[in-house]
Amino acid sequence: MTGQPGYIGASASITAEDVPALYEGAKFYSPAVGDANRSSITSWLAGLLDRNGPVPLLRVEAVPPETPCVSVCVLGSGSAMADLPPAGDEFEMAVRQIERLQRVSFGAVYPLAAATISALVAVVAAAQLRVPLLDADGMGRTFALIHHTAMHLSGVSPTPLAAVGPTGESVLVEVPSGPRADRMLRANVDTVGGWAALAAYPTTAGVLRRAALPGTVSRIANVGRLLLDRTDPDVLVTRLGTITGCRRLARGRIAELEHLSRPSDVTIPAHPSSLVVEETGGLGRQLRIELRSEIVAVFADGALVAGAPDLISLLDVSRGVLATLDSLEPGDLVDVLATPADAVWYSPRGMEMVGMGSHGIPLAHPRRR
Amino acid sequence: MRRTSTLPITLGELARIQPLAAAEPHLADPSRTVEQVVLAETFDRLRRCTPHVLVVLHNEAATGGWSLAAALHLAWERNLSAVVVSRSVAGGSSVALAERLHMSLILIDDDPVDVALQLAGQVSAPAAARALRQARLAELLAEQTGIRGVLGVLNRELQQVPVALVIGGVVIAGQSAALTERPQMRQIEVEVHAPGERSAARLVAAVPVSGPASVEQVESLLRLARPSLQAAWAQSRLDAATRAAHEQAAFGLLRRLPSAPPPSGEQAGIEVPAWTSELGWQVGEANRAVWLAPLRPSGEPPPEITYLIRASWQRGHSTWPLVAEGDGWISWHSGADPDDVVALRRALAGFRDSAVAHRLVIGVGRAHAGVAGLMRSVAEARLAAHVARESGPGAVQWFDQVGANAALAWLPTTEIAQVADLCLEELMAAKDRAALVQTVLAVLDAGGSLSQASQHLGVHRNTVLARLARARQLGLTYDEPGQRLALHVLSYALTALWSDNAAG
Repeated sequence: MTGQPGYIGASASITAEDVPALYEGAKFYSPAVGDANRSSITSWLAGLLDRNGPVPLLRVEAVPPETPCVSVCVLGSGSAMADLPPAGDEFEMAVRQIERLQRVSFGAVYPLAAATISALVAVVAAAQLRVPLLDADGMGRTFALIHHTAMHLSGVSPTPLAAVGPTGESVLVEVPSGPRADRMLRANVDTVGGWAALAAYPTTAGVLRRAALPGTVSRIANVGRLLLDRTDPDVLVTRLGTITGCRRLARGRIAELEHLSRPSDVTIPAHPSSLVVEETGGLGRQLRIELRSEIVAVFADGALVAGAPDLISLLDVSRGVLATLDSLEPGDLVDVLATPADAVWYSPRGMEMVGMGSHGIPLAHPRRR
Repeated sequence: MRRTSTLPITLGELARIQPLAAAEPHLADPSRTVEQVVLAETFDRLRRCTPHVLVVLHNEAATGGWSLAAALHLAWERNLSAVVVSRSVAGGSSVALAERLHMSLILIDDDPVDVALQLAGQVSAPAAARALRQARLAELLAEQTGIRGVLGVLNRELQQVPVALVIGGVVIAGQSAALTERPQMRQIEVEVHAPGERSAARLVAAVPVSGPASVEQVESLLRLARPSLQAAWAQSRLDAATRAAHEQAAFGLLRRLPSAPPPSGEQAGIEVPAWTSELGWQVGEANRAVWLAPLRPSGEPPPEITYLIRASWQRGHSTWPLVAEGDGWISWHSGADPDDVVALRRALAGFRDSAVAHRLVIGVGRAHAGVAGLMRSVAEARLAAHVARESGPGAVQWFDQVGANAALAWLPTTEIAQVADLCLEELMAAKDRAALVQTVLAVLDAGGSLSQASQHLGVHRNTVLARLARARQLGLTYDEPGQRLALHVLSYALTALWSDNAAG
């Protein structure tokens, strides 16, 4: 892969130089996540890529359809991972367990979600297993539960799946119904160390051609390069728009942070709270931004203007970087950005799974009104 | 056609009675009517609301944060009258959003279901709700003992409707905005009869045509205020009457002091008695008296007028005395510096409107020391007031500027005119008598100079000559030295009387 700064375009491999861009891009697609384990995970991955050589990044169509593939991701809390860092073999072990169970040898790895650390650990797994990485994933951003994937919508079962904790213990799950897998896993994540390396959705490249979201890994690398190239926020938003389709809903100043103990949907673990932003310029609207584990909806003067599954992020205008949700303070000047998710999430089934209804907001999505 | 009181109730009215009286209202438009109350549990229910509905949010629709913002937006879209929600879910930003959308938001502490039920009852029977409001107002009015208090309650309760108590065109209490005529405003009046007397007191309210309160309603509320007002008024009149009598007696006593011989034959001046300070009076170094007199004296003024004059004269100068004396009123200002008239001038300027309304003239004496000086100043002020009558209502005459002319003011013009009727029969029968007398007066005033007289009258010298010739023929032989003084006085009296009559 070309490591030239400022390069935007398709990539054929991932090298150690691409790791910072990959990390930044992965963060764009999961704005809620903090930077707790940035240095440990990036240096680990860069070291691996230096030792084992670049990981080939292949489009799904470039892989023979019968090639067995498996997805990997991190399950559980990112801060737990910072407290109890990986021993290093968790992801490889998880993949190997499914290989043993299914008596196959996976020819490629793909990220369950090309966002957060999960995007990076997929590269780790590919480097350790010395297989190519597919330029595709199951979410195109992050969602809360492991069956919130395009594969699940296409009828691919997440199981058999293996979760390996930093303690070396593992859980193997097989369920007939996808949504049950997440409940069973969550019960075990704490026990195995607060987080676990997950290998799931074993299938073939042929199935992934129709079931996975293509091009999402090279997309985060490109987004990451834009974010690293610190520029004027206006220019940055325009450039991001060309790659991700994101647009600025408004620029405003944070006026109020409301932490309300409101009844929340039980299936998604998060505390609802609310952020009030006064638009500077424009119509001077009052924006209300609803927070769960991510930003789930934006209301302008009470009218819904964006909502899950849209990816909504805040850009700290004064610093020109993405604002993480735990760093917000009244008085900050922010750009509210909305990035459309992949089209599959706006289908009725997609909306039912990850739309605003799943966050307890019974309103029609602005795209569907 | 009279509009009946079964009109839909307005937000402003609802907000004044329980349960919303205890709530925190943020009303964008109190005159919005409320035609129906909806208890909305879901956003679907909100979406089905028709305009002019007051919606009480409950359950899912009232979880705060986004839900209230979305509800406010929906309410705005549906043109609802107001949104009622539990205070616990509404923050400052929700109120700000409501203001931005110009949507009324009412925050309650009670159970939304109970509130919605009560509101539904009130909205379905607006007459009953209004009666409830009147009852509440009656209670508030009953607590008031003063006229200002009663008017305060009326003005507070009738938002956007200024109310004033008016006697003879002068605002006694309340908001004078009630009297200004404006488009889209209807003035209504309710007579307030002082107990046992004919009285011209009126309660005046200016009701906005498109406002929250209907005309009948305001009228009935004003009538409700009448008994409290009468009681308060009787009380204050009783007080005022006592005080007036007290002051009158005290002033009489004060007046007699200078004439009584000093006990030990000393001429050091009269000591100011201590009891004057009990009345709040000051008699000091420089006492300058003011005489307030009616333009046309007609005997002793009734106590109501004294009360009114006192109210407006003592506005801001509550220690200044006001003593009814003869057909006028005496007041004075005491200070250390005889030349300091700033306070007095300001008071006179402030009193001018009332003076015009009551057709009063004002004379101001010079500043003199001590009780004797005060009495002298009173006499001067009275003289000045007589001179001021020449200039019509509201006129102020300072004795310093009168001089010997004051003598003229005492001329009994009416009687002198009767003399003219007898001695100058021919002249008084002439149609142009006014012009003739005026011309003769001008020539005499100018010491016989025809050119000065013609300049003063603004007519040609020949005209003056012709009028003089005619006046002489009719018996006004002004150039006979033996009659000159008598005819000069006569001409002065006639001119003064006629110009007075023309002005009246």
